[in-house]
Amino acid sequence: MGYAEYIKGFNSLVQKYIPVESTWTPADKAVYGNSDPYRVPQAEADSIRLDAIRYQFRRHYEQNRTYHQFCKDAGITPADINVLADLDRIPLIPSEFFKESPPGREFASWLANIYTGEIPAVKITGREPSRDEVVNAFNKAGMVVTYSSGTGGRHTFTPRDQRSFNTCEYAMAKGVVSMFYPIWNPQIRSYLLLPNPFKTSLYAGKLATVFYDITEEVDCAIDREIDTELIRHTMGDDKSLKGKIVKTVAARGERKAVSDMIAFIERKHKAKEQIGFVGSPYLLHSVISKLKEEGKSFDFEDRGVVLTGGGWKVHENERIPEATFRKELDEILGLGPEHVIDLYGMVEGNAWLTQCTEGHHLHVPSCYLHPMVLDDDFRPVGYGEVGRFAFLDASMYSYPGFIITGDKVRLLEHCPVCGRPGPVLEPGITRATGQGSRGCGEEVRKVISMDMGG
Amino acid sequence: MRAKGYMPQRPFLTLQAKGALSLSFIILTHLRMLRKLRVLPTGAQRYVVPPLQYELPEYREGMRSCRSNEKYLRSTLHCDIHDPLLVAMADRLGAFRVSDHEFVEAAFDLVKESMMLDERPMDGVGATLRRGTGTCFHLINTFIALCRCAGIKARYKVFAMNMIRTWYDAVIQPDPFIKRWYDSLGYFVLEGEGEVFLDGEWVVANVTPEAEWQAAAGTPINKLGEDSLGSWYNAVPGTVMYMESIPYGFAGALDILHTIAPGSMERVNLSILRQQEKGRAIIAEAGGIEAYDRSARARQGPRSPMVRMENKAQITFED
Repeated sequence: MGYAEYIKGFNSLVQKYIPVESTWTPADKAVYGNSDPYRVPQAEADSIRLDAIRYQFRRHYEQNRTYHQFCKDAGITPADINVLADLDRIPLIPSEFFKESPPGREFASWLANIYTGEIPAVKITGREPSRDEVVNAFNKAGMVVTYSSGTGGRHTFTPRDQRSFNTCEYAMAKGVVSMFYPIWNPQIRSYLLLPNPFKTSLYAGKLATVFYDITEEVDCAIDREIDTELIRHTMGDDKSLKGKIVKTVAARGERKAVSDMIAFIERKHKAKEQIGFVGSPYLLHSVISKLKEEGKSFDFEDRGVVLTGGGWKVHENERIPEATFRKELDEILGLGPEHVIDLYGMVEGNAWLTQCTEGHHLHVPSCYLHPMVLDDDFRPVGYGEVGRFAFLDASMYSYPGFIITGDKVRLLEHCPVCGRPGPVLEPGITRATGQGSRGCGEEVRKVISMDMGG
Repeated sequence: MRAKGYMPQRPFLTLQAKGALSLSFIILTHLRMLRKLRVLPTGAQRYVVPPLQYELPEYREGMRSCRSNEKYLRSTLHCDIHDPLLVAMADRLGAFRVSDHEFVEAAFDLVKESMMLDERPMDGVGATLRRGTGTCFHLINTFIALCRCAGIKARYKVFAMNMIRTWYDAVIQPDPFIKRWYDSLGYFVLEGEGEVFLDGEWVVANVTPEAEWQAAAGTPINKLGEDSLGSWYNAVPGTVMYMESIPYGFAGALDILHTIAPGSMERVNLSILRQQEKGRAIIAEAGGIEAYDRSARARQGPRSPMVRMENKAQITFED
């Protein structure tokens, strides 16, 4: 099947994520207007990207009071952004900003005040609503507020509107489908190594919504309600009785998920069906380890795909090398390395960088994403240098997707393997170390807290 | 009292009430643990107030202080702008003789770099100047008093600070008990800056951290007009309050801390001294304050936007 027909088939399944073409803005054109986001000639992509980002920068500058003041303090206005080289001047927001939300009623106000434009009518129950209650109220009103899993107990919260969420889903799915050409097809039976997207606002779960549209049937490893409270009990070191119970249940849940996945593999192998695993590699790694332990293997003869994301930590302090993971999938499930790709994305942005099957470098969707690598002084550096990843995401309508991440990367001008145009990130992204800060009262809090724990 | 802002603002009351409730619950359920806070450091490690870094001026007849009753120019709680020692110090800095800018810079330098941070119960500007040390609020108080004495409007900016992320993740988060204390204390133990009215606008004056302490934290040496918020720390959104006076209850909160935790307070002071020593070494290694500041600013990284919390009519709360 030719690529044009292949991608037409994909687009027919995701119509609900695509706005009417006559209403497309420059940002929409950047996301929806190409058939393969990773094969747009560089000059064309540069022009589309510049228009899209200028459009969004003006929008956020004019309609987002918080960002407007931020730009004013930096002395940058939309009139200053005219050519590609000017994009580096757009004020960037550190990703930590999205962790700085206050609790209670103020959380609702914070979400509304970092949002570009006006939120819909939101009714919240309770004098001192929990974050989950606020998130649910916003989402009931038609928004898509999501959060990260919350390293250190501090979640990243991001208020997307439905339009931004649809763009995110479409961009991710299209990137994956185009990279998997000609392997992907809608008859794939997929297994999400993730929470059920309809039972959580956790970003890592929610983002999988689109797989219900582009695959035949979907099973989930974690098919239960997940909220910030549950995450806190599961991921923290909560020694309370409730915390211990939750952790025990979670551990049992993981063991059950592993056996369910093995049963899924056995069924689909017997039926000679195509399978697709989507999500965190750690759970699939546990399945592979269990199968090896039991001396079992399956040969799907490349009738399947594996799409991973979320990092390569399989247990506390243990990372699995990607190449090893792909080798194991080949040995145990008969899925070759060209059937396995990884995604790099983050809760703060709609940007999805997708690995190519040839060289497993992470390709930048150059029509709507402007990547940057910053040195220790937060100044942009050239290709080939290691530094902190930052980006300008033209697809984000609901708040300025102009973000400095906490990741250390190396950006190459081109993929050294596959020949697609546009820059790529080398595999092997790591976390940058953060800086501290100090206040008078902070000293008191620190010492008293340590004295109590000591 | 109300006109001068002695009555606490609602966010302040909310924070203090939350903190008091939270702390009370923890204290009542962990009475035995409280002992740890009362244990003083052993023998050689007792805190001694560092020597004064300036000469105390003598008050003489004829030295002026502002006599206006206008808001932000008058004496308020713990901020007596007619205290003789304060008036003498303002006179030494050039009150009513040099420009407002020059005076404010001089007052800023004095308080920031010649007065040291330490934890103690609240007292007035005279006692603070005599001692040369105090909490951030003692120091802000002194700066504000000097400015008001010289006829320059000044006010307090107070907020609850967001945690130090890297330290929190490594130290606090792993222990839920420490985390409860830490989070509860966050409501109680507020941070502040001064603000002074110059050329028709309010200018930030963060006078708390002296250069050595900032060097120990790796942050730039802030100047007059440089806001710490969004730079090297962040306020919990919605908690920033502008005040003419330190409100009733504030001093009480400090007193409570010192009553409950005298040992911890002394350990804080020892920790600050150690950091100052560390900072002195860092500055020396960098080749001086300016050289250190240049490299710290280069490393500092981007600011964060400050969320201006406007009420949104679309959001309704149902009890």
